[in-house]
Amino acid sequence: MPETPNPEAVALFALVANRHGSRLTSEQLDEIKKMVEGQVEMARALRAVRLTNADEPFQHFAAYRSDGVKQP
Amino acid sequence: MSSDLLFKPVRELATLVRARQLSPVELTELYLDRLERLGPKYNAVVTITRERALSQARRAEGEIAAGRYRGALHGIPYGAKDLLATTGTPTTWGAAPYREQRFDFDATVIGKLEAAGAVLCAKLAMIELAGGMGYRQPTASFTGPCVNPWDTGAWTGGSSSGSGAAVAAGLVPFAIGSETWGSILSPAGYCGLAGLRPTYGRVSRHGAMALCWTLDKLGPLALTADDCGLVLEAIAGPDAADPTASERPYRYEVADRRGFRFGVIPDVTDGCEEAVIVNFRSSLDELRKIGTVEEVALPDLPYEQITRTILQVEAVSAFEDLIESGRIAELTAPEDRFTPYAREAILAHDYLKAVRLRGVMAREIDRVISRYDALVAPGRINEAPRLGQEFRSAIRATAKDVMGAVGNGAGLPAVCVPNGVGARGLPTSLQFMGRAWEENRVLDAARAYQSLTDWHTRHPKVD
Repeated sequence: MPETPNPEAVALFALVANRHGSRLTSEQLDEIKKMVEGQVEMARALRAVRLTNADEPFQHFAAYRSDGVKQP
Repeated sequence: MSSDLLFKPVRELATLVRARQLSPVELTELYLDRLERLGPKYNAVVTITRERALSQARRAEGEIAAGRYRGALHGIPYGAKDLLATTGTPTTWGAAPYREQRFDFDATVIGKLEAAGAVLCAKLAMIELAGGMGYRQPTASFTGPCVNPWDTGAWTGGSSSGSGAAVAAGLVPFAIGSETWGSILSPAGYCGLAGLRPTYGRVSRHGAMALCWTLDKLGPLALTADDCGLVLEAIAGPDAADPTASERPYRYEVADRRGFRFGVIPDVTDGCEEAVIVNFRSSLDELRKIGTVEEVALPDLPYEQITRTILQVEAVSAFEDLIESGRIAELTAPEDRFTPYAREAILAHDYLKAVRLRGVMAREIDRVISRYDALVAPGRINEAPRLGQEFRSAIRATAKDVMGAVGNGAGLPAVCVPNGVGARGLPTSLQFMGRAWEENRVLDAARAYQSLTDWHTRHPKVD
């Protein structure tokens, strides 16, 4: 029995095919479909970890001044 | 000029140069000759910078004769991965669409090496766009696949492929590479070299091709861990042009230490070739002579998914123009021409989740790794793949690499050194990964390991 396609992967693949399908071959689209399925699995692993409201994105942002003055 | 000089570590060359027993000009001519004669055999070189090299070498010779010795790299030739901007020569990023690209400035690393008196002899070959488009094969470069000096039927690894080939073949004494996930440790490991991935922010990225802004690191490939330390001291430091470059000073300090504490992740050899496992066990026996080795469990987190998500999203964003314009179809590897389109389907929500989880990962790993001098593991899971072979990759989720995911995702330093040979006679490797900003500790450990073994003194026959 073939596996039922993951509806999220189907929808995300449709987005890619809609945007870029005209410049891709059917073989390339088949490969992209598999990659999108892999990405959905990757996202599932991320979503499975619970975070708290205090868990901020781990990258720094600083207000900018052209004279080089940094955040005190 | 004697061929005995080939495969001498930078530290030994420097001693001869400083004592004026070795002319920087003659040394440079020796390596330029080898780059011209042997570079094509290994597909290692994009551009030889002969005029610039000889000019720098003459200047070094004059300064040293006048008593103005600058340090261990003064008068020492090197090569740079062709993603570092240099005036006067193309900077191709290994990719056909950029083969004529030129910059009117030098990358900060190139400038720092010039200030240290080093001699730029060549821009070295690399995987197109540093491998960020999802390549599966060694041929993913407009200059062709880089050939491993240990076996001309094998690949060098990538994406700093030419940096690996050139040092291993004795075409330069050291080279600069870059790593986003594996691109220094892979060619160093496959070519039997020492390779150092510095802490993220230790070395300015200004003038280097951006693949992933929060993952890209620049570092050396050389014959010994000690040489990597010498090079790191020259290229590290703050840079107003790169806000992520740390103000934290770095000085390479050589300590003849013992009494190390090493940690090993229990399943770290899963998926490794048999010879890699055997050699890793032998390495652990050696390490027990200089310290303790204990198993350490990492907290349960999706390490590879965190780093892979960040890498894939940043890479597709960094090359948005190339992808949207359709010029990505000009890339060499067929898979690089369409893989990035798939990544546009990664949701912003999931990307931000990965960036939030990265903080959890960084804190958890620091809590664990702060109890050790280094976590140790095989540098690569296998010997170098064959040239015509599709290879496994953690970035594409076809291989496991928790050490790479953690190390690159959390920006931690690691050094790899050769630790044996595999079934096909190609080098295998051992990596030491340390706490952020602790390059000296991992270098101490790697140097101590190299003092017990002689794998780094073996070199391929290349002429």
